[in-house]
Amino acid sequence: MSTALTSALALGWRNIWRNRRRTVISMSAIGVGLVLVIFYSGLVGGMAQDAKNQLDSAGIGHVEIFARGFRDKRDVAVAMEDASGWREKLRLPPGAQVGARVLARGLATSARGNEPVSVLGVEWDNEPKLSAHLQHISAGALPAPDDVHGVLIGEQLAERLALQVGAKLRLMVQRADAEMGADLFRVRGVFHSISPAIAQRQVYVSKAAARELLGLSEASHQLVVQIDDPDAADALAKELNTALGARFEALSWGELLPVLKRLEAYTGSITLALATFVYFLVGLGILNTMLMSVLERTREFGVLMALGTRPSRVLHLVLAESFWIATLSAAGGALTGGLLAWYFSHAGINFVPGTESYQFEGATISSLIKTRFSPAEIARATAFVYVMTLIVGLYPASRITRLLPAEALRKT
Amino acid sequence: MPVIEVDNVTRVYAEKGQTPSHALRGVTLAVERGEFMAFAGPSGSGKTTLLNLIGGLDAPSSGEVRVDGVALSGLSRKALADLRRDRIGFVFQSYNLVPVLTAAENAGYVLELKGVSAKERRDKVKAIFERMGLSPFLDSRPLKMSGGQQQRVAVARAIVSQPAVVLADEPTANLDQATGAALMDLMRELNRERGITFIFSSHDPMVLERADRLVRLVDGLVVTDEKRAR
Ligand SMILES: Nc1ncnc2c1ncn2[C@@H]1O[C@H](COP(=O)(O)OP(=O)(O)OP(=O)(O)O)[C@@H](O)[C@H]1O
Ligand SMILES: [Mg+2]
Repeated sequence: MSTALTSALALGWRNIWRNRRRTVISMSAIGVGLVLVIFYSGLVGGMAQDAKNQLDSAGIGHVEIFARGFRDKRDVAVAMEDASGWREKLRLPPGAQVGARVLARGLATSARGNEPVSVLGVEWDNEPKLSAHLQHISAGALPAPDDVHGVLIGEQLAERLALQVGAKLRLMVQRADAEMGADLFRVRGVFHSISPAIAQRQVYVSKAAARELLGLSEASHQLVVQIDDPDAADALAKELNTALGARFEALSWGELLPVLKRLEAYTGSITLALATFVYFLVGLGILNTMLMSVLERTREFGVLMALGTRPSRVLHLVLAESFWIATLSAAGGALTGGLLAWYFSHAGINFVPGTESYQFEGATISSLIKTRFSPAEIARATAFVYVMTLIVGLYPASRITRLLPAEALRKT
Repeated sequence: MPVIEVDNVTRVYAEKGQTPSHALRGVTLAVERGEFMAFAGPSGSGKTTLLNLIGGLDAPSSGEVRVDGVALSGLSRKALADLRRDRIGFVFQSYNLVPVLTAAENAGYVLELKGVSAKERRDKVKAIFERMGLSPFLDSRPLKMSGGQQQRVAVARAIVSQPAVVLADEPTANLDQATGAALMDLMRELNRERGITFIFSSHDPMVLERADRLVRLVDGLVVTDEKRAR
């Protein structure tokens, strides 16, 4: 570093402490603004991320494939020929999980009463990879792969129908040939889901049993694909649509549950709005402080200019002060904001105390929100505040360098 | 060649909505190397304006100022700054020093601008401070020093880089009579020892009687310009 630069920085350092209180206050304002932006964007990012995680427990796949026409009326006769051989055909990204389901709507009956339900015929060993809530069995266990007449139900349904593990349950559905199909099942396990709709409505049976109920031979209604990066779902769905042709349709989660996509866009734009607002206020604050602190020393700058200080050096002297203020407050703000975002990314914050989740336009959102700890985002927010603080110093500096030394000297 | 030439210089302060103020109405004078001279005159007669123009702190409305033969009107602001750094020392009436710098750092400021190393600066400042009786204050902050001590530091800063001329606008105005006289005597000695030209302004007869040459200004014009034999 050149000696001129080091001496400007050294002088700047001493100058910012001339009015200690003012400097501390303006640095706090910058720091707090930065903390606010970092924490808030972590929170909102966490919420969006969380909503995406909820896809699992909402029982929505990242990409779902149906025979075209099934979704309109949920006509169980509109089925896909057995999809087990498709895994290879689809050329999915590495790490992807695929599973075929047989779907039906019907009525579950116990000694206590009956409830409308959604029946999912699944492969017992594969389904927990697709439906995250099946990893949370609160009573009983996942049925064995060859268990044809076992059934898994949610906690709420178990409560409504007064069912316990081992109890009998009758399922009645409308068959593909429009007749009624019914069978008796035994509850093997009860699962927990933060989504009341799932815990109350979804009933899992074996694929074989579901086919038998519906009077279908080798067919499925839905192919579920889970991938590592949910953000890649749209592209994958598009790719699959071209590959599969007109008889099938592939839909991404964004299309299946548009509210989540909107939520993402919406949270992104409120973070931006808040950041803009905070930065604007912080910028004005620094501008005001810097302007005051520089202009009240106009005469002193006049003396320095009289002694032969070049205008460029006057600029450096003022910017050195912005540099220190920016460095200290951005470092402090980034550290505090980063720590908060990091801490709450582990601990989480419960926004609706006493509950596990809430519904937002049909999407289930966990009320325990874990902030997203994103070093890249923290670095971006910090860099922005930093550069803004430096730029704000230019204006007061220009107010001085614009003056002739004689004019500066006249100011008291 | 004179160290300073002022050639038919005028300075009109024209501010919007106000009648223009003619601070200088055509001043011509030449200052030879080694002079010890004063500008006298009533308040508002143009002393500060003239000193500012000589030092390149301000630009004349017409006419020309030359320092060591260099016409100031042709210089950029950067070149003017460099010229002041290299040839001109300044002492102002008060608040001359940068409060966050120590006395030694203040005195070494011009040397620093010239790129003189820290050690050499310290040595030079030390020598001057010794000469001026400021040794105990090397590392004192200006606010902890008396007005007279501060003015001596300002004089030290003005002369330490061996300028051609030192301009001092009412250097003793904020000092008591005895301190002011001591400061004047010190400047006089430095003028003799080092051949540095001093131009100062004042109302004070004590100051004026110490000058070799006295230029009286009235209403922006030179009315008398007399040399005194000593
Ligand atoms: N920046 C300015 N704008 C307008 N008028 C000015 C300005 N500076 C000086 N003047 C006017 O120019 C005239 C000369 O001012 P100057 O400061 O040179 O006088 P001075 O002899 O130094 O007076 P003093 O003894 O009070 O310091 C005065 O009438 C003053 O009002
Ligand atoms: Mg004056």
